[in-house]
Amino acid sequence: MPPERKENRNDAETHDAELVSCAVMTPIGEIALLRLLHLADSAIPIGGTPHSFGLETLADEGTLIPGNVETFLAAYLEETGALEAAFVRRSWNGNDLRELSDELNARKPARESREASLKLGRRFSELVNQLTGMPLLQTDLHYCVAFGAAGASLEIPEDAVVLAYLNQSIMGLVSACQRLMPLGQLAASRILWNLKPAIAGASLSEEALCFSPYLELASMRHGSLETRLFIS
Amino acid sequence: MSLCFERDRFRVKRQDPPWKVVRAFRQPGVGALVHLNNLSGGVLAGDRLALEVEVGAGAAAQITTTGATRLYRHRMGAGDSEQSARFSVGDGALLEYLPDAVIPYAGSRHQQRTEIRLGRGATLFWWEVLAPGRLAAGERFAYERLHIQTEVYAGTRPVLREDFLLEPKQRALAAAARMSEYSHLASLCVVQEGRPPASWRMLEDRLNEIARERTLPGQAVWGASALASDGVVVRGLTISGRLLHETLVQFWRVARKAVTGEDAVLPRKIY
Repeated sequence: MPPERKENRNDAETHDAELVSCAVMTPIGEIALLRLLHLADSAIPIGGTPHSFGLETLADEGTLIPGNVETFLAAYLEETGALEAAFVRRSWNGNDLRELSDELNARKPARESREASLKLGRRFSELVNQLTGMPLLQTDLHYCVAFGAAGASLEIPEDAVVLAYLNQSIMGLVSACQRLMPLGQLAASRILWNLKPAIAGASLSEEALCFSPYLELASMRHGSLETRLFIS
Repeated sequence: MSLCFERDRFRVKRQDPPWKVVRAFRQPGVGALVHLNNLSGGVLAGDRLALEVEVGAGAAAQITTTGATRLYRHRMGAGDSEQSARFSVGDGALLEYLPDAVIPYAGSRHQQRTEIRLGRGATLFWWEVLAPGRLAAGERFAYERLHIQTEVYAGTRPVLREDFLLEPKQRALAAAARMSEYSHLASLCVVQEGRPPASWRMLEDRLNEIARERTLPGQAVWGASALASDGVVVRGLTISGRLLHETLVQFWRVARKAVTGEDAVLPRKIY
């Protein structure tokens, strides 16, 4: 049987389901919540700012414009977002971190985006180890794998960790869009607000399903742009 | 269907309808070339096709098809059609798997699983083309479900893993995060177990030169990328299948020469 993909519809029925889902989500303690907010802050110093994960190519070619950023990111969440959410969950649940990262290497064929994910993972792990004063994380992991492992080590509930990971991931991409095109702060904030149901939908993913060839191609072709603001 | 390629001979260990291999052709520098022929003309609802290929140590195999893989409409009461292909490539062996396009007809439901395992120093060239349906019949992404799983291993290392679940009626493939305005997806996967990473970066650069020449936004976009280890992948999205194979052949020729030092030998068919 093919896997059943959990749908991410922004309608009243889904909204009701979200309310139920929130109601049964594991409660989060005060310190755990504050730590999660800290780790998922877009200002966290792990060097995420210079990465667009292929968006710079799409903006350069005019495929990605202010008017379609929201729909683009909603589809992004259904594919790449859902894939990474599944790996945050697997990591949180104690799967072998080295094997998870190796598998994700094989699931990210575009080199620039793959290397960006590894670089962010390394810096995130180093930061967590320094903040906690303990060698909690190995430093050769993809970002989503490191994030899930950090959440588990700090006893932050699984669902909250996945949601926070996806939220900061989308915040980073919207921030990249603001630097790539005339997208104002209010418009960016509205996009982030409107994408919350899509983030919640993607966070439910447990399967490593992902189909985003055009975005992969954008990443593969990024090095060919005449001028670049971003590393990836 | 079970095929076995050895250094000095080719054996059909087992074949059941609808698949048939008539004979192998000896090709210079290639070893044996085999055409897979689906006698029923396509994959019917409920079909469960399995292909097992063993390429022995030091042997060379080139496998292609006699035509596109047509995935027929789903029938009430039948299961999704399935096609699994497993390739085991021995130490120092070469596999070139160059099938024609997969064409999912309107209403089809299909699962395709491909697993390729390479031994020490073994080499792989594999391309795959996915069409949107029978465009001439007005079908474009009219299939119900296509689930494509791919796993390529160099030794025990996972080199490329993909898991695509395409349900165009549920999630539009025209989204910019998926295929944008393009209809055909092509991939070329080149792997050689143990080859140094620096050589893949050089090949990536060379293939991206071709990709730039062949890219015409709105009609075709191509790109190449070194994998995390042992290989490189080329991707293409086009609005037509017409010039797609010609471009794939160009990438394959360059990669073949760079990785094996030998010229690519086309299967006995016209692209």
